[in-house]
Amino acid sequence: MPKRAVNRERPTLPSRSGPKPTPKNDLEEARARLHVSAVPNCLPCREKEFSDIFGFVESKILDGTGGCMYISGVPGTGKTATVKEVLKILEAERDDGNLQDFKFVEVNGMKLTEPRQAYVEILKALTGKEATADHAANILNKMFTVPAPRSSPVVLLVDELDLLWTRKQDVMYNIFDWPTKEMARLIVLAVANTMDLPERMMIKRVASRLGLTRMTFQPYTFRQLEEIVASRLKGLQVFDSDAVQLAARKVAAVSGDARRALDICRRSTEIAESRTEDAGGEAVVSMSDINAAVEEMFCSPKILAIRNLAVQEQLFLKAVVAEFQRSGIEEADFCKLYDQHQTLCRFEGIHVPTMTELSAICYRLGSMRLLLTEPGSRDLSMRIRLNVSQDDIMYALRADIPS
Amino acid sequence: MVKNNHQEDANSLRNHVKVSEITSHDRRSNLTPTKRTIATPSKFNSQIALSPSLLESRIASPRKHKLGISSPKKTPAKKRIAPSAAKPSLVDPDFNPLEETQRILRLRISQVNKPPVISGYEKERKQLYDLMKRTATTGESNSLLLIGPRGCGKSMLIQRVVEDLHSDVAVKENVQLVQLTGLLQTDDKLALREITRQLKLENTVGDRVFRSFAETLQFLIEALKKGDQASKPIVFILDEFDLFAQHKNQTLLYNLFDVSQSAQTPICVIGVTCRLDVVELLEKRVKSRFSHRQLYLFNKLTLSQYRDLCRSYLTLCSDFPDQDFADTWNKNIQCLLGEVSVKDILERQFSLTNDVRGLITLLTYPICQVNAAHPRVTAADVVTSFKLISTDTKSAMLHGVSTLELCLIIAMKHLTDIYDGEPFNFEMVYSEYQKFAQRRSGMQVYEKPVVMKAYEHLQTLELIKSHAGGGGAQVQKEYKLMSLLVHPSQILDAIQKYPGCPTEIKQWASQSIC
Repeated sequence: MPKRAVNRERPTLPSRSGPKPTPKNDLEEARARLHVSAVPNCLPCREKEFSDIFGFVESKILDGTGGCMYISGVPGTGKTATVKEVLKILEAERDDGNLQDFKFVEVNGMKLTEPRQAYVEILKALTGKEATADHAANILNKMFTVPAPRSSPVVLLVDELDLLWTRKQDVMYNIFDWPTKEMARLIVLAVANTMDLPERMMIKRVASRLGLTRMTFQPYTFRQLEEIVASRLKGLQVFDSDAVQLAARKVAAVSGDARRALDICRRSTEIAESRTEDAGGEAVVSMSDINAAVEEMFCSPKILAIRNLAVQEQLFLKAVVAEFQRSGIEEADFCKLYDQHQTLCRFEGIHVPTMTELSAICYRLGSMRLLLTEPGSRDLSMRIRLNVSQDDIMYALRADIPS
Repeated sequence: MVKNNHQEDANSLRNHVKVSEITSHDRRSNLTPTKRTIATPSKFNSQIALSPSLLESRIASPRKHKLGISSPKKTPAKKRIAPSAAKPSLVDPDFNPLEETQRILRLRISQVNKPPVISGYEKERKQLYDLMKRTATTGESNSLLLIGPRGCGKSMLIQRVVEDLHSDVAVKENVQLVQLTGLLQTDDKLALREITRQLKLENTVGDRVFRSFAETLQFLIEALKKGDQASKPIVFILDEFDLFAQHKNQTLLYNLFDVSQSAQTPICVIGVTCRLDVVELLEKRVKSRFSHRQLYLFNKLTLSQYRDLCRSYLTLCSDFPDQDFADTWNKNIQCLLGEVSVKDILERQFSLTNDVRGLITLLTYPICQVNAAHPRVTAADVVTSFKLISTDTKSAMLHGVSTLELCLIIAMKHLTDIYDGEPFNFEMVYSEYQKFAQRRSGMQVYEKPVVMKAYEHLQTLELIKSHAGGGGAQVQKEYKLMSLLVHPSQILDAIQKYPGCPTEIKQWASQSIC
């Protein structure tokens, strides 16, 4: 057996050949800045949340005590980015010598294969040792409960907290129990999506240890989204100001997710580029580009899909609608649909497909999820439902609309 | 007789080859209209059009060895010379044009070779190409979903784009491709192993990947995190993307999308799926990290494009070694496609499915029928092929059951009619059968165990199925509730064609309620 030639510490990926080209024009520069990964140094519109978290962590470090904070909010509202920014400032302070030494550990529930791996990750970040989950839990327990002088405070960020849920909730319990220990000096920042997670999922003794220091990140309003985009584009004249507002309003109406707003703006720069490719000259992203990008990202393709189906497939959808209207129930047996389809075919004067062909059609529509079907082994007694509204089907199949 | 005719056909074709050798060059100059349309696919602004010359060139060289055709006389080099320099029959005395035709056509329909060139989807192709190229050159991370019904050319589009990317050396050097399939990588563990294997990371030795699942995940995340704008971009292609969304917690998708949304190794995640509602399958946090770029592909073929496609699948192209044979063949195909019955069948097939796969299924049988005794594709072949495709499998199955079993099926049909779709059990069927056999016919009345055997045979054929709420395993088999899985029209259809069906049974079957 070959010996493991494994460099455990530094896994690397091959690097690219040749340097990366620098952005050629304003549009490309804007695209690079609008990428979600290009997090700015100072997050706009989250000043209050920033100062709250900063105050909390700083005071705990200064006091030499431990504590928990629960941060919630829908995805894309800047939770993780804000927390990381706080820690970045604190680390800068520490390096300047204005603040006592502390360690920052980060665990993300989604990046673990199972909840107990959290122990392994925390231990690895604190001491660099590798251990099994049980062993790591023991070491950590000892570390936080046995008083050790001169130990520095630890700030633990637990992202995607809901995934650390287990039946006995021992992982959550431990994480929130350690800060209450006198000697631990552990500050836990727990981040999750739902506001009522402690009440809904946690048993009482865990929720009680989590405490009441909570913070909610509200979805961005359209003004805030506009400001975020504007702050990233500072100094560049590529966007029509109304265009940014349109994108911000569209996103704020749906989710208030900053990632979506940035993605839409980035996509619209691409559209603008391809639009002005032939014409030449400086491209400015206009309202129509934003509109095209929004359409592309939010539109439902189902009507287009129905229009591009084969004739018999369209007829089958009509048969489903007809059968639903006849029976008044939004579910029908395949057997009944076959009869209905036969009638429609005779009515239209086209060949009646055999049962085999029709079931193939049915499965094809099922695989696209225009229909919801049961497993094919149920055959004639298979129940079929629509995954589109009946109005959509009738609208898509109306003859007077050019496809 | 028929065989003789065919042989004559073949001979005449060969003779024709020899006679018309002299005129071959003239012929080539005035090409048939078919070819002209093929040469300029843009003319019929089709969504998908084959360009046979490209198809041919692919077939010509690389597959040779794999197919085991290693006869030195058929080397590609000679082939290229053949049509231009000398008369083929002189160069290659035992070159069999028919065999060659067969090989070419079979390779086309079996899609062993690269899929045909597409001239549709221009916009989509450009968008996909731009996206992947930007990842390779500027190190921009992206994610995209390619959505379209089965058989509309999603994988083909990706394959073409990847080929285009690889043709540019500067881009090729700067991109790493990782291809995963939801059907093979059924859980995150297997997928992660496959990723580290394809990336050739340090924890792989040869084709084996070490470390446990949790370690592999951390290792991969760490590796991706270590990378920055200077590291080589990776393009992940996730085939059957909807199956990845069914993994536990969607860990893999979360991590891939998270890397694409943060300043780590530049990656481009491309998901390929046929489900239109795939974005709704994603968890909220995964969905937020996905950039919501979606490309939709649909079958936009029109009937005339479908016909052209059919023609381009069947015609031989201009670099076929034996040009005269090719000309005759193509003329024959032209005639074939002009026939009413073939037109009708193409239209019917098109009305059933408008994708290319349906066409290929239809053409498989005629192409496989071509041999020395039957040297050309006839309309009858196409008709037979369509008949084979569209046979109703259940009535075909009913042709093979015994008379007693047929009687039982009819009895069940009556029961279903009378009780309006309610399930039945064996006793009911048996009494129904007895009523018929004793009163109306002079047929032998079988005893109960024999009938039971027939009943169980029908059950194994899955012509009847135990009813969903029909009791558990405790119920005796005579009283188990069953329902019939044959449609009345199929029964009537089968009885019409049942060999030697007694008249009483026919009458009994056609009575609506007895």
